[in-house]
Amino acid sequence: MTDKKLGVYICACGGNISDYVDIEKVKEAIKEEDCVFLAKTTMFACGDSNQKEMESDIKENNLSGIVVASCSPKLHLNTFRAVSERAGLNKYNYVHANIREQASWAHSDDKTGATEKAIHIVKAAIAKARYAQSLFPIKIESEKSVAVIGAGVAGLKASLALSKMGDKVYLIERENKVGGKLTTLGKIFPSNIPGSDFVRRLEDEVKKEKNITLITNAKIEKCTGNIGHFQIVVATDKDEDKNENKHEEINVGSILVATGFESYNPQEGEFGYKNVNNVITLPEFRNLLRENKGHKNLLYNNSKVNSIAFIYCVGSRQIRGENKYCSRYCCSAAMNTSLELKDKYSDIQIYHFTKGVRTYGAQELMYAEACRKGDIFIQYPDKEEPVVNKNGNQVMVRAKDILTSKREIEVLADLVVLITGMVPDSDKSLGSMLKLPRGRDNFFNEIHVKLRPVETVIDGITIAGTCQGPKGVMESVNSALSAAVKSHSFVSKGELELPPIVAHVDTTTCSWCDACSNACPFNAVIMTTVNNKRVADINSTTCKGCGMCLPVCPSDSIELTSFTNKEIESMIDILAS
Amino acid sequence: MANQAKILVFSTEKISDPAIDMAGLLKLHYPPEVYTIALPCSSSVKPKWILRALEKGFDGVFIAADGSDCPYGESCTEKTGNLVSKTHEIMKEKGIDPARLKMAAMCSVCSESFVKQIKSFNEYLLKTGNK
Amino acid sequence: MQTRNKLQFDALVIGGGIAGGETALNLANNGYKVAIIEKELSIGGKMILLSKVFPTLDCSACITTPKVSEISRHPNITIFTESDVETIEKNSEYDFTTMVSRRPRYVIAEDCTGCQLCEKSCPVIVKDEYQFNLIGRKAVFIPFSIASPKVAAVDMENCILCGACEKICPSNCIDFTQEERQYEINSKTVIIATGFNLADPEKMDRYGKGRFRNVLTSMQMERQLAPTRPYNTVLRPGDGKVPDKIAYVLCAGSRDDSAGNPICSQICCMYSIKQAQLLMGALPMADVTLYYIDIRAFGKGYDEFYEQARGMGVKFVKGKIGKISELPNGNLILRYEDIQSGKIKETEHDMVVLSVGTLANKETTSLFKNIAPKVDDQSFILQDDPILSPAKTTVKGVFVAGTASGPKDIPDSILSAGSAAAEVISYINQKQ
Repeated sequence: MTDKKLGVYICACGGNISDYVDIEKVKEAIKEEDCVFLAKTTMFACGDSNQKEMESDIKENNLSGIVVASCSPKLHLNTFRAVSERAGLNKYNYVHANIREQASWAHSDDKTGATEKAIHIVKAAIAKARYAQSLFPIKIESEKSVAVIGAGVAGLKASLALSKMGDKVYLIERENKVGGKLTTLGKIFPSNIPGSDFVRRLEDEVKKEKNITLITNAKIEKCTGNIGHFQIVVATDKDEDKNENKHEEINVGSILVATGFESYNPQEGEFGYKNVNNVITLPEFRNLLRENKGHKNLLYNNSKVNSIAFIYCVGSRQIRGENKYCSRYCCSAAMNTSLELKDKYSDIQIYHFTKGVRTYGAQELMYAEACRKGDIFIQYPDKEEPVVNKNGNQVMVRAKDILTSKREIEVLADLVVLITGMVPDSDKSLGSMLKLPRGRDNFFNEIHVKLRPVETVIDGITIAGTCQGPKGVMESVNSALSAAVKSHSFVSKGELELPPIVAHVDTTTCSWCDACSNACPFNAVIMTTVNNKRVADINSTTCKGCGMCLPVCPSDSIELTSFTNKEIESMIDILAS
Repeated sequence: MANQAKILVFSTEKISDPAIDMAGLLKLHYPPEVYTIALPCSSSVKPKWILRALEKGFDGVFIAADGSDCPYGESCTEKTGNLVSKTHEIMKEKGIDPARLKMAAMCSVCSESFVKQIKSFNEYLLKTGNK
Repeated sequence: MQTRNKLQFDALVIGGGIAGGETALNLANNGYKVAIIEKELSIGGKMILLSKVFPTLDCSACITTPKVSEISRHPNITIFTESDVETIEKNSEYDFTTMVSRRPRYVIAEDCTGCQLCEKSCPVIVKDEYQFNLIGRKAVFIPFSIASPKVAAVDMENCILCGACEKICPSNCIDFTQEERQYEINSKTVIIATGFNLADPEKMDRYGKGRFRNVLTSMQMERQLAPTRPYNTVLRPGDGKVPDKIAYVLCAGSRDDSAGNPICSQICCMYSIKQAQLLMGALPMADVTLYYIDIRAFGKGYDEFYEQARGMGVKFVKGKIGKISELPNGNLILRYEDIQSGKIKETEHDMVVLSVGTLANKETTSLFKNIAPKVDDQSFILQDDPILSPAKTTVKGVFVAGTASGPKDIPDSILSAGSAAAEVISYINQKQ
């Protein structure tokens, strides 16, 4: 420790600091501190000329580190770290002191106070610099491959993108064919192309990509490992010879989860579902339309359908029931279906029972067209749902209509279509296996909807498409491509560099109690044995350096690099004096 | 301005420290004997550091927490709360006024809130004679 | 005649807002060299000027400044602020030439420390466009405290050349001799991320903007609520009074054929609810009422956010405002059909905020010399393959990110930027 030679530079910041803080006094106060080899004041520490001077000071005097007391680290921490590196030092030997925003500016009304504070701040930085160690980013090798789980539109697009970026892709699908829900959709706004055509197109493209290995009829049995090295065990078709499932082990650097959604299944009696004959869901209605392809009239149970009532928000924005969220895609999907219907069967009368139409963006044009084509819109109050009853061979739908000052409207329709929302996939096994946290709506949760929209807290696992939340096809594609770029960035170099700020366990004082492992949101703590004693071990490639484990250890056995007890305590002591 | 309380602030590098910086930028004045140590996350503050600060001469310790802005995830709020409660318990056992440890969530531009909180903390510490 | 600096990049991004920035970051992180051309003095687009963002009420600055800092520090990204694209020409596949002219700041950027002494010394005061004309700024100024780069600039149109700033600048970085710089940039692809324009209510007569003193646009209200705000509280611009009966007019210029924009602007319901919540916090005694057609709260957490606002006491009235008139004391009368009761009503408010919509930035396509991407009926960049490749335009090699292709909120813009980056990388890789 005492053989360290530090250079300390106190910046005047062109008066911004020196007008309120007496920098000469600061220099005098700190120049005799332990390990300080030279102390200088400078007009602009960040200026080119001073940077060059610092570089030569380091080289000529063999300094072990420098401290710059200037503005907020936000501005120039990296600038001065770069200076250290250029002069041949490890950048983590640089320590920064903020005496502008947190001294001269904050206390410009009290020069004495500001100067005293600056002296303390610089002394504390020097104390920290004495303990600073050369740190090197943790390098790990990574498999240059990605496993994409789910071959719906999101999984297919993500795989194609990854393949074109040069990564090997394992596209794992539990059904025996690809396409997911996209196959079931009719024409998708704003194009005139049905979902099945898109699926065919994507399937053909995937076949052409040599980088993509498609595994269908697959079930993921096990998933272990970390970013750079995940091991996934996949069970596929039965091996005919052995009459047991074939198992394949796949090693990948990153996992992209695109497991999609399920359509909400109404309960028996919900809006008459299963109790009243002519009440079906939107997916069932789409099937009906496909079966009727080429017919002159729309038939349901062999009867001609002349009028249809759509009931919106089934399974979404629920009054009773857990799904409080809006499923986003449904108003537009219903509107699109209605236009498609009118196109084929121009004499059908369509009634829309909505809770407010949410055809956002350009989809609004569909709403306007549906109105022009004679569709009738009824808006029922948020807390008073329409009532559905059997009426002979037809169905009676009764609701209060906000658009006509809450008049009670009755519609006698041949068919009722429940516009059902999206819910998360009912198979929760994958989510549990990967430890993916879920949001309030029970879909998989991203780290931050704006800053990190496709990443999860599990390093190396990204999420794409509707498994993250309800969205339309175009939105799923955007999310899938973003996730592909992210997953690609994890694996593309074949090796990863992780910042060296990680936690370490002192195994001599640790006596495995589980507290740190429970506190860690990133699953970075595992139990291991050292000299026959059970202790905690922190995986430095998974550890994010957040420090949540520090306070919970009953024996204070955990330290965080560059925020060690020695460093923090010596800073506290100096600042308190 | 002599006779101010000495306060140690544990801030977070990405969230609350920028707010404290901004207070300076906006020339929102607060007492100068307020010192900051920036950490990665507010839930990483060791209770023994807080106690050491109080024993070595700080009148109060303020944790400027990440709250919901924490880049390490949602469990930060609960964990920061836990370590504060734990420390309060120890403080009570040692006969130290638990109100000498305060915590508040601070977003990265919450400078006015920071200054307000620090000033009222300072007043409290002066009033209760912890100075 | 100035010679042009000739530069080479893999990708040229037009627009340094969140979409352009995110696209550039994604490409740069994957090793590609990117240029960002930004017409304003700072990158960050509209997002950096916002107060808080829905539905989490995170501070916009907390989210934007780390991104903006990462973008400006990235070794693979070169940013050209205060720069205009003159022309873009596609020579052949993977070969685009863009002519850029960079206006002079009259400040030596590398030496400016952001100390603001020049601002203090300047005697000229003009309207501050970054605060949407709510207050003034000097003729030499730093656009706003979190600008990137945080470097001063001289507004030469209003500068009286008194030299006060030059004298006082401690690092001698005011340089009145600076001239426009011109660049010829060659790139393999071009990404359009030019964002949107807010609908101009001065074109909507019935809302009285420009005539009525206490009618603001939502962006002006946004600035009043932001941490780097012009006043210490929310004031009405007519007389500085603190308002206590505020009305929001939703769909001002959207879903409105008569205003020339039949589509929904997607973000206004949510940002109005957000501002209403912030107002309930800033002015606890105030009444806030939103006059709407439909509340489009469709995204993750949005409906919950809407319910939260209702719980806080924000009033919601279904009925589009047909006309606004002004009283002598500056208060306003709003006339509308109250759908729930079926009656025509008039209510008095002391401040009105117009929730203006998002319109296309029409200038972009005219920059293309020989082959221009097509636009849709609302003049947004047309997505050639909207379902499976939303970032592709009708010109191969030209991609689009963010609101340039249609209204979007911040999360959707960011995802569309990632999508554009993926398309760009695939496209460039096909060359090999």
